[in-house]
Amino acid sequence: MDTLFKKPKKQIFAIFSFLFLSLILSTNNAFAADGEKIFKQNCAVCHSLGKNKLTGPGLEGVMTRVPGEKWLHDWIKNNKAMVAAGDAYAVKVFNENNKADMTVFAATLSDEDITAVISYIKNPPPPPGPTGATGATGGAVVAQEQGVNPLAVLIGVIAFLIVIVAVLRGVRHSLKNLQNEKMGLPEEEAVGPWTELKQWIGSHKRTTAVIVLIIIGGLLTSGWYGLKGIGVYADPDQKMEYHPEQPIAFSHKIHAGDNAINCQYCHSGVERSKTAGIPSVNVCMNCHKGISKGPNTGTAEIAKIYAAAGWDPDKGEYNKPERPIKWIKVHNLQDFVFFSHQQHVKVGKQECATCHGEVKEMTTVAQVKPLTMGWCIDCHRKTEVPGMKDNPYYESLHKRLAEKYKGQPITVDKMGGIDCVRCHY
Amino acid sequence: MATKKYWKGLEELNNNPEFVQKANNEFAEQLPVEKFLGDKSLENDGTNRRDFLKFLGFSVTAASLAACETPVNKAIPYVVKPEEITPGVANWYASTYFDGNDYASIIVKTREGRPIKIEGNDLSGITKGGTNARVQASVLSLYDSSRLSAPMANGNLTTWATADKEIGNKLAAIAAKGGAIRILSSTIISPSTKAVIAEFTAKYPTTKLVTYDAVSFSGMAKANAQTFGQEVIPSYNFDKAEIIVGIGADFLANWLSPIETANQYAKTRKVGKNKKSMSRHYQFESILSLTGANADYREPVKVSEHGKVAVNLYNAVAKIVGGSSLSSSALACDATIAKAAKDLADHKGKSLVVSGSNDMYVQLVVNGINQMLDNYGKTIDIENPNYTRQGDDAAFAALVSEMAGGKVDALITYNTNPVYTAPAALKFAEAYNKVGLRISLADRADETAAMAHYICPDHNYLESWNDFNPKKAHYSLSQPTISPLFSTRQAQETLLKWSGNNSDYHSYIQKNWMERVFPMQGKYMGFNDFWNHSLHDGAIEVGKGGEMEMNGMADSVKAAPVAVKGDKKKEEPKEEAKSVAKVDLGEAAAKIAAVKGAGESAFELALYEKVGIGNGNQANNPWLQELPDPITKITWDNYVTMSPLDMEGKYDLMQRQDREASVVNVTVSGTTIKLPVVPQPGQARGTIGIAVGYGRDKAGNLSLRTGTVIGQNAYPFIQLMNGSMMYGALDAKVEDANEKVEMAGTQVHHTLMGRDIVKETVLSEYQKDAKAGNPDEMLVTHSGKVKMSEVDLWDSFDRPGHKWGMTIDLNSCIGCGSCVVSCTAENNVAVVGKTQVMKTREMHWLRIDRYYTTKWPNEGKKAKEKAHEDGVGAIDMYLDMENPEALNPKVVFQPMLCQHCNHAPCENVCPVLATNHSSDGLNQMTYNRCVGTRYCANNCPYKVRRFNWFNYNANPDFTFNPTQDDLGRMVLNPDVVVRSRGVMEKCSMCVQRIQGGKLDAKKAERKLKDGEIKTACQQSCPTNAIIFGDLNDEESAVAVLRKEDARNFYVLEEIGTKPALSYLTKVRNCEEAEFAAEHNEVKEGKESAL
Repeated sequence: MDTLFKKPKKQIFAIFSFLFLSLILSTNNAFAADGEKIFKQNCAVCHSLGKNKLTGPGLEGVMTRVPGEKWLHDWIKNNKAMVAAGDAYAVKVFNENNKADMTVFAATLSDEDITAVISYIKNPPPPPGPTGATGATGGAVVAQEQGVNPLAVLIGVIAFLIVIVAVLRGVRHSLKNLQNEKMGLPEEEAVGPWTELKQWIGSHKRTTAVIVLIIIGGLLTSGWYGLKGIGVYADPDQKMEYHPEQPIAFSHKIHAGDNAINCQYCHSGVERSKTAGIPSVNVCMNCHKGISKGPNTGTAEIAKIYAAAGWDPDKGEYNKPERPIKWIKVHNLQDFVFFSHQQHVKVGKQECATCHGEVKEMTTVAQVKPLTMGWCIDCHRKTEVPGMKDNPYYESLHKRLAEKYKGQPITVDKMGGIDCVRCHY
Repeated sequence: MATKKYWKGLEELNNNPEFVQKANNEFAEQLPVEKFLGDKSLENDGTNRRDFLKFLGFSVTAASLAACETPVNKAIPYVVKPEEITPGVANWYASTYFDGNDYASIIVKTREGRPIKIEGNDLSGITKGGTNARVQASVLSLYDSSRLSAPMANGNLTTWATADKEIGNKLAAIAAKGGAIRILSSTIISPSTKAVIAEFTAKYPTTKLVTYDAVSFSGMAKANAQTFGQEVIPSYNFDKAEIIVGIGADFLANWLSPIETANQYAKTRKVGKNKKSMSRHYQFESILSLTGANADYREPVKVSEHGKVAVNLYNAVAKIVGGSSLSSSALACDATIAKAAKDLADHKGKSLVVSGSNDMYVQLVVNGINQMLDNYGKTIDIENPNYTRQGDDAAFAALVSEMAGGKVDALITYNTNPVYTAPAALKFAEAYNKVGLRISLADRADETAAMAHYICPDHNYLESWNDFNPKKAHYSLSQPTISPLFSTRQAQETLLKWSGNNSDYHSYIQKNWMERVFPMQGKYMGFNDFWNHSLHDGAIEVGKGGEMEMNGMADSVKAAPVAVKGDKKKEEPKEEAKSVAKVDLGEAAAKIAAVKGAGESAFELALYEKVGIGNGNQANNPWLQELPDPITKITWDNYVTMSPLDMEGKYDLMQRQDREASVVNVTVSGTTIKLPVVPQPGQARGTIGIAVGYGRDKAGNLSLRTGTVIGQNAYPFIQLMNGSMMYGALDAKVEDANEKVEMAGTQVHHTLMGRDIVKETVLSEYQKDAKAGNPDEMLVTHSGKVKMSEVDLWDSFDRPGHKWGMTIDLNSCIGCGSCVVSCTAENNVAVVGKTQVMKTREMHWLRIDRYYTTKWPNEGKKAKEKAHEDGVGAIDMYLDMENPEALNPKVVFQPMLCQHCNHAPCENVCPVLATNHSSDGLNQMTYNRCVGTRYCANNCPYKVRRFNWFNYNANPDFTFNPTQDDLGRMVLNPDVVVRSRGVMEKCSMCVQRIQGGKLDAKKAERKLKDGEIKTACQQSCPTNAIIFGDLNDEESAVAVLRKEDARNFYVLEEIGTKPALSYLTKVRNCEEAEFAAEHNEVKEGKESAL
C-alpha cells in the first residue's frame, strides 16, 4: 500500500476509489462477495455491470428487463436449452445478440452460485458511478499531461527568449545609432551577436563558469533520469518507477479495474507455468472482435490489435499478415534467477498485487516493487505459507517444523525457502 | 583386496616423478598471464604515463558508452498461441530413434515447440526406457546448421518444384527405355516406407531396393539361413542367460541391439539381499571393448583367431555334452575356453554364445554351439527376429559391380553414405560416378551426396512421421516434434511424389496401419482409439494374429522388387528351430582353419565402433566428439590402439601427462592412413584396433570450426571375405611416421592419488559375506575402534523436508557414457574442444572413471620386500610389476559426480559463500555469486568441480560450441543457466528436475512419490545403475537399498565428508584363487608363444 502514497497527485483518485470500494465491500454481505468473485471469474469477460455492451449485453437494469429471477436463473444455467425450447424472451435475446450462444453454466455453477451471482447483479457496486467517471477523466488528463513533452516547452520558451533578445538587440542598436546621430557621434559598428557573446564571456569569466556548470549538471541529471526511464532500475524511494511506454497503450485500469476482468483470463499461465504469460493476440481478439471503439484513444489502440492479428474489421475476417506485438517487459528478473509464478500463486496462494502492486489502478504498468534479492528474501522471512497445513505434500515437513519451532510462525525460510538453489540453477 | 591396485593409466601406475608433480597440480596450466605480458607490441611501445592515461580515459569512456545500451527487454507473445503450448511448460512426445543402426523408443521433451531433450520410453518392450550416448546426442543433430536448407541440383540450391519436375522427367525417361533404377538404403524397418518403395517400384518397374549397412550382419543372417532356413537375425534374451560367452561381439555398446542388450545383461548382473547369484561372462576379443571391460573372464585373442575360438569352444562343449568334434588347432586361451565350455554345458538352455564376426562360417559354428546347448527358443528367439540389420553384403557388392559396368541408370541413396563407408576394394566412388542419375536423400551434402546430381534433403527424425517394426510383433511410431527448420521434405513423401502420389506421409502411415497393424491387435475396437494410443505410448506390441503378412512385408528386403500386397509370402518356419537338420560344420571349420594370421612383421587389424561416434553418421555432433571413449578416455580423435608390450622401444608409451603420442602409418592392401598410436592394456598382442566413424571431411561444419577433420577414415580397411565384409584385416603394416601429436585424454586428470575408492569382490565371497570387499571404515578413537559412519567432527544438519541421495551400483554400470551426454544436454554443459581437454578443462559434470585393476602377483609382495631390502625405488618396483599385467587388466567403471557431501570441504573454503548446503541436502553452487577463486576445486577430494575458463558462448575460439550457433542455441534447456567464464560449475543433482517434481506434487496437493523425480543421468541409464530419491522417505528405493544392501559404501568415507552419494561394491563372478592360477599359466603360455 505504501507505494500508493508516493504519487499523491496521480494516485489520489485511485485512493478515493479504493476507500470507497472498501466501504461498499465492507457493507456487503459474504453472499454478495461470493457473487462478485463468481461474476468476475465467469461473467465479467462478456458482461459489464453498466449499460455498455461487451460481448454480451450490459447488465444494468437487467432485472427489470427479464421476465423474472427464475427465468434468469434458468437462462444462466442453460440458455441453449431455453432457446431450443422456444422460450419467447430467450429467443428474443438470442436474436438480439447475433444469434450467439452464451456459455452454458449448468456444469460449472451450482444453484447457490447462480443465486449469489444474481444477487450481486441486482445490487452492483457503484464504481461506474461518479468516482469511476472522474477516475476515467483523471486518467485522460494524466495521459494528456504525459503527451506534452516538458523539454519541448522548455525549448520553445528558450527559442522565444532568443528571438526577443535578438529583436531587442536590434532595437537597442538602432536607438543607440539614432542617439549617436543626434549627438553627432560616429555610428556604432554593428557587432555580431557571437563576437559580443565572446566579449561578454571574456569579461564575465566567473559567471560563465557557473552557467556552464549548471548546464552540465542539468544535462547529467536529465540523462540519468532518461536512463531510468528506459529500464535502469530505480529505487522506489526515489519515486522513479519503471513504466515504459508500450507499443499499445493498453490500460490495465480499464480492463482489470473498471471491467473487472480476472487477471488469469489473460495471464493464463500463472497457475500452470513458471511464467504468467503475456496473452497472445487471439486472447485480445476474443473480446475485441466485438469491441472496436474506446472513449478516448481506445479506437486507435484497438486498431493496433487488429493490425497485429491481421484482422480486417470492415470485412470481419483475418486476411492480413500477422504482426506480433513487441511488448516491453516491465518486470525483469536476471537470467540467473528462476522464478515460478505457479509456485507463488497456486501453491503459495499469493495475490498478484503482492509483487506487481495495484495493477488494476495503473493506466501504464509500472514496476512498483524493487524485485531485488533482498526484497524476495525479506518476504520469504516474513511470510507463512498459506495452505501449507492442508496440503498433504507438506504434512510431515510441517509436523517436524512445528515441533522444532514451537509456537513460532513457520515462515518460508524455515522450510528452506532461502536456499540458493531455490532460485539459482 | 588389499593386494589389488587400481590405476587409471600407465602413467599413474608408473608413478614417475613428473607425473606425480603434475598430478599434484590441480590445474595443470598456469594462468595465461604470459600471454598478455608476452604481447610484443606492448613491450616495444614502451607504454608511458600519457599513454596509460589515454588508455584509461578511453576505456572509461568506452565502458560508459557501452553501458548506455538500452536495457529494454521485449516480450513477444504468439499471435495465435497453439492450444497445447503453455510458455514455460514442457510438452512430451513419444517418438522413435532409428538411424539404420541404433534403435530406441524415446520420449522427446519440447519447450515452446523446440525439442531439447531425449529420454528413454519406459513403455517400450525393447529398449525399456534406456538410451545410449548417440540417441541422447541426436537432439543436437537436429539443430545442425550443416543440414541443407533446400534441395540441390548439380551443386546449386533449387526449389522442390524444379527438382521434382526434372527428376520426374529423368526417371520417366529411364523407365521408358527400361533402364535400371536402384534404391540403395541402410536397413529400413518402417513398414510404411517399404510400402512407399513398393509404390515407387510399381510406377518404375525397373526399380530394385538394395540394403546395405555400414556395419553389416550379413554373415550372421546367411548362417541362420543355412541353419534354420530363415535369413534372419534372431532376438537375444540375455536376461535368461546365466553363462554368456562373447567372441568379438561388443554387445553392450554396438552389437545388434545394444540398449536392449545392456538392459537385459544388467538384470543378470544385479545382486542384492534377495538375489545372490549373477551371470558369468566370458569375452574373447582383440581390442579391449566396453563389453570386454565388463566381462568376468576376458581373453585377448588375435583377429584371425576369433573363428578358431568358436571352433575350439564347439569342440570343448561337444566333448562334454557328447558330439562330434571339428578339426581344430590349439590356442593360447584353450584353458579359458575349456572352463567356459564346462560352464556352458552345466547351464544348457540358460547360456548364450554370441559372435561379432560377419563371417558366415564363424556364425555357423556359433549356431552349432548354441544348438548343442539347447539355447534356441530360450536365450535365442529365432521366432521373433530382429529386423534392425538387414544389410546384404553380396547384393551391395553386386550393385557396385553393376554400377561400375555402367548398367545402373539411376541410383537413389537413402540414409546411407557408401562413398564414405564402403571398403576400398569395392571402389564405390568410381562406380558411383558412372551412374547416369545420382539422387541422394541425405540431409546434408555428405561424402556421397556431394557427388550426386540431386540432393533432396530428408527431414531430421524429430521433424518426421514414421513407423518402425524393429522386431516381430513390436511396432513404434515417430512423430514430428518441431516444424521443419529448413525447406526439407520427408524422404518418403519425396518418393511418393515421384510415384505420382501426393498424399502426405502421415495419412499414408495411418492408412497403412489401418490396413495392416490394426487388425493384428485386439485391444482397441476403433482405429482412431488404437492410433491415438499407439502414438501416445510410442511403442506397442501386437498379438500374433495376422503377423505373418506384416512380417512378410518387413522381411521382404531380399525379395526385390518389393510389392506390398502381391509379395510372395515367406515360408513359415514350421519346424521347431532346434529340430532343424544339422548343417555340416566341417566345411566351416576348414574355412576357419584356413584363415592365416599376420606374420611376425605385420599386425592384425580390428575395426570397431566407438561408443560415442558409432558408425560415424553423427560425426558432426560436438557432444559425441567430446564424449571420452570409455576405455581410452580420449576425445576428439581416433587412433591406433596397440598393446604396450608391442610398443615398447618403438613408440611413445605416453607416460607423460601431456599425452604426446607417436604417429604411425597403417597400411592395408595399398591404403594408408596416418594415426597416432596409443598403448592399450588388454589389447591382444600382435593386433591393433582402429575405430571407424572418423575422418569425415564432409560431415558438416564441425571440422571447419575446429580447424581440422577429426580423425581418419578406417572404413576403407574393411576386407571382403567369404562374400561378406570383414571388419578387420589380417595383414596391416605399421610404420613409424616419426611425428608426435598430442592426444586429448581425460583419464589422468584429477587423480585420486592411489586412495581406495572403488571396491570390489568376487561372487563366492559375496555369497558368504555380503560385506565382502566392503569392510567398515574404522577410526581409532580414545574409546577404541569406531565405525566411521558413527563419528562426526561436526554437528549433523537438520534436513526437515527431503534429503536427496543417490546410489550407483558399480555392478550394473557398464560405463557406456549415456549419462554423460544426457547430463550435457540437460544442464547446458559447454563443449570445450580438443585443446582445452588437453589442458584438463573439460566441463562434463559427470565423468566415468575407468580403473584398470591388475592383481598383484605374489611375487609382487615379495618384490616389495626385496625392493625394500635392496633399496630399489618404488617407481622401479612398480614398473617391474606392471608390465606383464598390462596384457589383460580388469576394468572397473565408476561414474564420478558431485558427492553432495554433508560436510563438504568445498563449502568452507569459499570466500564469498557461493557454494553452501541447502536444507534438503544438496551442495548448491550459485554461479552469480562465484568470483572464481577455485579454492573449492582445490579442496574437493573427489575432483568433480569444473572451472569455466572461457566465455564458450561468444569466444571465437570455440565456435563449435552449440551455444555459438543460432540453431544450436535452440537445444539449450531454458531452466538451467548458461554459465559464462570465471565461475565454478558442478553437478546440481538436476535441481531443476527436483524443483519441478516437488512443484507438481505441491500443486496436486499430494505427497511426492518415490521415483517421480529422476535425474537426467538416472533416466538415460540403460541398466538402471543409478537410483535417486529421498533418504528421509524410509520407503524410497534409495533408502531401502542403503539399509538392506551391505555393498553400500561411500567414496573416501574415512575423511568424514558424509557424502549424499553412495556406491554399491562391484561383484565379479570369477573364482579368485582358481582364476589367478589359471591366469598366470595362460600368461606364461602366451609369453612363450610370442
